[in-house]
Amino acid sequence: MIGIEDCLSEAMSIPGALGAILVDHTSGMPVAAKGIADPGRAAAGLSGAYRATLDGVATASEETSLRVEDVIVTTGTSYHLVRPMEMMFDGPLLLCVRLDVERANLALARLRLRAITNELVAS
Amino acid sequence: MGTRPVSAPALDTVLTGLAQDEATGSLRVGKEGTVYLVRGRVSYVDCAATPGVEELLCGSGRIGAAGIRHARQEAGPGGDGGALLVSRGVLSRGELEFCVLSATLDAAFFLLTPRTLRTRFRAGDAHWLGVHWFFDVPGLLRECARRRARLERAWPSAELDARPVTPLRRIPGTHALLTRLQWELLLAADSAATPVELARRLGHPAYSTLLAVRELAAAGLLATAPAAARTAPDEQPHEQPDKQPDKQLGEQQAALPRRTPRPPTAPVADAVTDVKLLLRVRDALEAL
Repeated sequence: MIGIEDCLSEAMSIPGALGAILVDHTSGMPVAAKGIADPGRAAAGLSGAYRATLDGVATASEETSLRVEDVIVTTGTSYHLVRPMEMMFDGPLLLCVRLDVERANLALARLRLRAITNELVAS
Repeated sequence: MGTRPVSAPALDTVLTGLAQDEATGSLRVGKEGTVYLVRGRVSYVDCAATPGVEELLCGSGRIGAAGIRHARQEAGPGGDGGALLVSRGVLSRGELEFCVLSATLDAAFFLLTPRTLRTRFRAGDAHWLGVHWFFDVPGLLRECARRRARLERAWPSAELDARPVTPLRRIPGTHALLTRLQWELLLAADSAATPVELARRLGHPAYSTLLAVRELAAAGLLATAPAAARTAPDEQPHEQPDKQPDKQLGEQQAALPRRTPRPPTAPVADAVTDVKLLLRVRDALEAL
């Protein structure tokens, strides 16, 4: 079982990780960050990107209720992985990692991220 | 235009002073809440208006009120009730930290508004949950300000913050996209409970609930006061609250202010009345 700070350290240990941040999606607040220059701005941006993705996909989807496992955005230089965690009374909490596109293995990173979030909220 | 009494400094000044002194203990703020500090950093805030960790845990169904009471007694003064709950498997360490962080920010948002209140500091006093997360005082005050700005961005009016939440019976468009909390709110809204009361009932943070209410208002799903002052380009919902009797007529009056309002009678009826009147006048004249 891990705490919030350990969860960020673990995320940063994923091969190719450049930065990791935990965002409270409801308020758009950075809970904790590592390797991020401006956590406030990153939190607002990532929270907005997640909301837009969710709304867009929900509108486009044929499924009656939607659950997003993760969001992957690939840019010229990096992968952005956003994984939502439903908390018991609020949320979700977003674990976001930026990875070097040259060094990272996307499939591995996804699996590691899933394992980390499971450890954080498992009781 | 009131001048502040010199004896009672503003709340943020008191907190900043305690942070500089690296104080450990609890600061009672009026009758509304308490700020717990450890070496000048805030470890927990509770506020009468917002659900604390205890209520959030009970609301999520993880533990009952009796379970909380037992854990609290067992932890004792200066103990680590949080660690006890984690060891019992009530919640994970990550969840506990998030729970404390969430409840603290929520309480701080409502308690630490810029104002002057009587405060009392008790050195050495600690919260029964123990210490699981820290905020520095400037950071906490900054986050409260950011949250206030976030509310304004969602819907720039405090109009619905303290009023009973009243959903419209019919939505203005053809479909609406709701978050989980918004859905729960609409189901629980009984036109009597305010956002903060609903938060407590549902076991959600009060700030999240307030934000959800403002978002619902922005989406045009809640009854609001006449929207004439706002410049909303979207078409207005047809079902407005009772206190807005006839919006169409109201607008007409505003456009043509000199015409005296009168009940809208159909021109055909007018003509009939006129004919009857003329006949009566003619009869009267003939009788002379």
